[in-house]
Amino acid sequence: MMRLSITIAFIMGAVCSAQAHDMVPAAPQSQPILVKNATLHTVLNGVQPQTDLLLKDGKIAAIGQQLSADNATVIDASGKHVYPGLVALDTTLGLVEISYVRSTDDTEDVGTDNPQLEAGAAFNPDSELIPTVRANGIAYAQVVPRGDGLAGQSTLVNLDSWTIEDAVHRAAVQVHLNWPTMPRWGVKTDEQKAKAKAAYEQKIKDIDQHFQSAYRYALAAKAKQIKTPDERWQAMLSLFDGSGKLFVHADKQQAIEDAAAIAKKYQLSLVIVGGYDAWRSADVLNEMHASVVYTHMLDLPERSDEPIGQAFKIPALLKSAGIPFAIGFSDDWDSRNLPLAAAQTVAWGLTTDEALKAITLDAAKIVGASDLGALAVGYAGSIVISSGDILDPAFGKIEALYIDGRKVDLNNRHRQLYHKYLTR
Amino acid sequence: MKISLLPIALLSAASSIAYAGDGQQNDNTPKLTALTHATVVLAPGKQLSNATVLIENNRIKAIVKDNDVPAGAFTINLNGYTVYPGFIDPYTNYGIEYTPEKQTYEPPIYEIKRIGGNAANGAIHAEKEWFSYIYPNDKDAQKWRCNGFTSVQSAVMDGIFRGTGVSVSLANKTANQVIYKARTHHFISFDKGSSPQDYPDSLMGSMALIRQTFSDARWYNESVAKAKSYPEIAAPEFNIALEALANVKQTGAIFAADDLNSELRAAKLLNEENLPVHLLGNGQEYARIDELQQYRPQLIVPLNYPAAPDVTAEESANNTSLASLRHWERAPSNAATIAAHKIPFAFTQYGIDADAFWPRLKMAVAAGLSEQQALAALTTDAAAAAGIDNMVGKIAPGYMADLVIAKGNLFTDGHIVSVWTQGEEHKLLPSGHVWQGEYQLRVGELELTLNLNVPAKGSVTGTLTAGDEDVQLQHLQADEQRVSFSAELSQAGLTGVSRMSLWRDQQGIQGRLITADGSVEPINGQVQATTANDTTSNTPPAPSYASKLVHPLQAFGVEQLPQQENLLFKHATVWTSAAQGVLPDTDVLVTKGKIRRIGKDLDAPSGYQVIDATGLHLTAGIIDEHSHIAINGGVNEGTDAVTAEVRIGDVVDPNAVAIYRSLAGGVTTANLLHGSANPIGGQSQVIQLRWGETAEGLKFEQARPGIKFALGENVKQSNWGERFTKRFPQTRMGVKALFTDAFNAAREYHEQRDDYAELRSRDKRKTLEPRPNLRLEAVEQVLNSQRDVHIHSYVQSEILMFLRLAEQFDFRVKTFTHVLEGYKVAPELAAHGAMASTFADWWAYKFEVYDAIPQNACLMARKGVVTSINSDDNEMQRRLNQEAAKSIMYCDMPPEEAWKMVTINPAKQLGVDQLTGSIEEGKQADLVLWDHNPLSAYAKTQAVWIDGKRYFDRAADEQRTQAIAVEKAALIQKVLSSDDARKQGETSRKPPEPIWHCDTDFHAWNQQQEAL
Repeated sequence: MMRLSITIAFIMGAVCSAQAHDMVPAAPQSQPILVKNATLHTVLNGVQPQTDLLLKDGKIAAIGQQLSADNATVIDASGKHVYPGLVALDTTLGLVEISYVRSTDDTEDVGTDNPQLEAGAAFNPDSELIPTVRANGIAYAQVVPRGDGLAGQSTLVNLDSWTIEDAVHRAAVQVHLNWPTMPRWGVKTDEQKAKAKAAYEQKIKDIDQHFQSAYRYALAAKAKQIKTPDERWQAMLSLFDGSGKLFVHADKQQAIEDAAAIAKKYQLSLVIVGGYDAWRSADVLNEMHASVVYTHMLDLPERSDEPIGQAFKIPALLKSAGIPFAIGFSDDWDSRNLPLAAAQTVAWGLTTDEALKAITLDAAKIVGASDLGALAVGYAGSIVISSGDILDPAFGKIEALYIDGRKVDLNNRHRQLYHKYLTR
Repeated sequence: MKISLLPIALLSAASSIAYAGDGQQNDNTPKLTALTHATVVLAPGKQLSNATVLIENNRIKAIVKDNDVPAGAFTINLNGYTVYPGFIDPYTNYGIEYTPEKQTYEPPIYEIKRIGGNAANGAIHAEKEWFSYIYPNDKDAQKWRCNGFTSVQSAVMDGIFRGTGVSVSLANKTANQVIYKARTHHFISFDKGSSPQDYPDSLMGSMALIRQTFSDARWYNESVAKAKSYPEIAAPEFNIALEALANVKQTGAIFAADDLNSELRAAKLLNEENLPVHLLGNGQEYARIDELQQYRPQLIVPLNYPAAPDVTAEESANNTSLASLRHWERAPSNAATIAAHKIPFAFTQYGIDADAFWPRLKMAVAAGLSEQQALAALTTDAAAAAGIDNMVGKIAPGYMADLVIAKGNLFTDGHIVSVWTQGEEHKLLPSGHVWQGEYQLRVGELELTLNLNVPAKGSVTGTLTAGDEDVQLQHLQADEQRVSFSAELSQAGLTGVSRMSLWRDQQGIQGRLITADGSVEPINGQVQATTANDTTSNTPPAPSYASKLVHPLQAFGVEQLPQQENLLFKHATVWTSAAQGVLPDTDVLVTKGKIRRIGKDLDAPSGYQVIDATGLHLTAGIIDEHSHIAINGGVNEGTDAVTAEVRIGDVVDPNAVAIYRSLAGGVTTANLLHGSANPIGGQSQVIQLRWGETAEGLKFEQARPGIKFALGENVKQSNWGERFTKRFPQTRMGVKALFTDAFNAAREYHEQRDDYAELRSRDKRKTLEPRPNLRLEAVEQVLNSQRDVHIHSYVQSEILMFLRLAEQFDFRVKTFTHVLEGYKVAPELAAHGAMASTFADWWAYKFEVYDAIPQNACLMARKGVVTSINSDDNEMQRRLNQEAAKSIMYCDMPPEEAWKMVTINPAKQLGVDQLTGSIEEGKQADLVLWDHNPLSAYAKTQAVWIDGKRYFDRAADEQRTQAIAVEKAALIQKVLSSDDARKQGETSRKPPEPIWHCDTDFHAWNQQQEAL
């Protein structure tokens, strides 16, 4: 019956963009949790076998041998592995429920100068997608607005919350710019090519103009000369004072270097998202301390002549180019495959520890969250307990997830339907 | 009345007698011309020196010795010139006064206007006879004549069955006089052109329509003939297009295809129809010449060389494919390669600028085409292609007086001086060109050397030399009679600007010099002996290439196909996908492409290669039940609700790098399915990923025939946009009704055909044959269990509906594909005996997958449904091992069972489980050697065998990857160091095709509609 009413709601194009899932967010940590005898994948200090870990007040309070704590819930984790909660970058989780059903899609708005749009304003913590993603060890997601040009600001959320306000995790301001691309389709004649090139160049000019406007605004703001705020440029102030980060979504070398030129001109902190060709631009990117969120792990080579494993190999190429990078997964429901995506690098030049770091600590660093992504004292009490290697689906089953010391319900729509039909 | 008209009709038909002038009614000027002292090329390889060609009116009367010129002939001395037969371009649109109607319309258009008994499809207008639109246009004719062409074959190049062509002279005469042959060949292509109708929207749709049309024409004309003999038979409804195809066996058809894959498809189609294989080429023939040769084709070859890729900037060089660089380098060798394979061919100017023709032809000669072959392609073979080799293409008595007069060797540094059409001369050079050359002049005591350059195009230049001094000439003007100029000759003692004019007479060069003070001096002069007119050609140096010729001709192509290996794997962990499960430390012996023994401590017979597989895993090759790799021209013919007639097997693309990439992921077999845009889609094609083979060589012949059906949102056009709300069905209820309808129609068709087939031949003659219908035939094969259904489905209602419908029509559904809610009706699937092929974990992208769960495979398998994991995706296909592993993570499937989901289970679904899908003695050696447990995300293939042939090898791949970089760098250097002439060419007309998915909506014939 419930499903029927949902169907009707979609057909009618009703306002309800998604429905609440049944999993109850966990209450704040009220007593210490002591995980005993686990293999700790600390990320910061290598793999530590047979080690204890204490969670207290939502933080990692201690790591060591033979730890004890008063009134603690003790978990015997012998033979188990503990990882920091994974951080999924460049997702649209909570912004879209069913991408083909337009009324459930809040990912993208109209216009090319929308830096004032905030993902948090549309984030649905009750999305049915979220429990299926966190069941794979993903504790945090960067929720990113899509759209042309300056698309808006992303928000870092934890994946177990009542509201967006519960969900937000402290991070840098993240402004997203989608670099224009030349159309790959329908450009055949010289005339069409010229038209496409002109349109592309116009878009680049527009971007330049937007940054100039934002810069003017920042200069005036510094001099306290703003009478009426312009929300667009207001949203970009943090970029000019160095506290915010500019995420430019670009793959081709030319685009990456053009974007870098703008960031350099205004001395902005730059992150390239996508980054397929970023390793080719190491000189340019390293000079300005830019980093890369590489999102094409599970993609085909971009060009027919490239090595067949090119998409898998790029993290190793970024590493040898000395460019700081994380691995992201640009999707909604599919972002649960982030660990599998990172695992591909292992057969192509990274160690498992490096692969793990790219979806934990380095991912957290890129969004400016300084307390996530590692098992170390003072870090958030967000951990995954698994039976084995969480990068390799067949060999590591996730048994528990804690976010800020709160034990998260790993049930989800899929498990519910599974258990329902097991009884048939 | 009649009698008196006849002589007038005859008179006007005769080309020699025309209305003459203002007063004289009849032109009685004598029309006997002798072209004397010429080198005459009678036909390729047959040449006379010092010969005379006698022309009377518009024909060649005779070829005689110079001293046998008949009295009274008007003679033209062609000493130093060569006379060739006029050239023929067999593929043009010259002289046709007709433009296809430009219609503004909004798709979808399911039916066209039926007018005048036309065909039901707008791309079929075989009844057009293009001679009836011929209206000579002298200006247009010049575009061909300027290159030496004197006649052409013409048709309007629009649509699929384009009508019958006409061969015409390029003479400036009336239509009646220029038509050499009114009806030559039918013209066919795959491109529906200006037809507004949606169908066919894909390449395979065009192929199916062509096949059905040939079949219809056969049926129609036979039935009409029957009806003539037996009045009790009701003749089929009139159809002029089908009637017009009655003669196609006699006329043949010229088939145009715009790339090599499609050219081979065209050849195959013509072969199927027992028609001679006449093809318009596309310049890529060299890349698969052996395959093409097998069809014994006759080609019309354009000289469309690609423009050099832009490799100057770093990024554009990165984005330039090795394939495009190779084609740039190799394109000029195409004609030589065709000739070397003894394939008859003609050149056409089609597809390039007229100016480019001769430079390109010279490049072809430089690339190894012999001059004799080149000439044949312009004359005898071209005349044959145009159906007029009994009147043009040679210099012989009775042939048309269509000639080319050339100076020098046309195929190296010579040029055409004039062209004769039907006995009339068209000069190609400016009249002053006769002055081209060097002269010795004497003015009083003064000796001067004059050098004049009067090119075919551009301005006249010249110098005068006195002693060591060169003086540039000013105000140069030259016509046939006279040349005049001014020059500053103070170095020669003449102050001021002097003016000269010169003319020729019997004694040589005469002229006058006017000095600065106005005095006039006579000039005497003579022509310097020009360099000998050397027609003997030196063999040009063999061209050298930086590019490799591999199969397919692109990155990762192979120089040689792998050979069968006799192998012994030692100490492998063997995943049998059979009752034996996973065998540790086991040996496997492979002989002649088959698995011969599995066991411990096997010995290698002599000559066997032993592979130490300690620590490695050996599995059967992965099989993908649902794939859209390696397909050309669209994956959906979604323009109609039922398109069972289209065949993926028609459009397999052996060039697709996806084959190699998936092979590297351990995939050896894939089921290429039609998309899911309509309820009854097209016929599928199982391939083995034998990288380097031809399209035919990829096909897995023993696999069961299959067809794609589809249910749900795609077929009811839920996500197609607001225009698509008219075609039935728009609901799942309608989908059921449509299937029922189609099955009933197929059943009725089957009964009618059966009834007819059972008639005695005497009765057959008196009975109208039910029209063969390829669409219903394919549906009927489903009902007869000769063709397996793979049905795209999501929700439980539609799955159950189709199960019951199949039961009602008494056939078993082979495989539900996707079947994301299969877990809800697993007992019903198992009871019916249907198999299931699903995604590991896809969901939530559309409403019908909102209840999809990653435990689907487990739940179905648990109820006994043979379940596989498919990719439906080029990228995921190369990681199907990892997708199978997800069922271990989500629902604890035993690893051996998970592995079966990508090997033996899909083999069962494709009907190849007796041959492949497991490691068992007697099976085909489709094997993969892995460096880890194959279900691990860290596993990489080391090598992949199909039939015991190693089609992928990791080490060889690394070498190949290196070699690609080296070859590409060399080719980029070659582009950068080439001159502009070598860089010029056409830019590709066809954009690359997208990567196909089930619901890819691609318009093969009007991609421009998608532009920007």
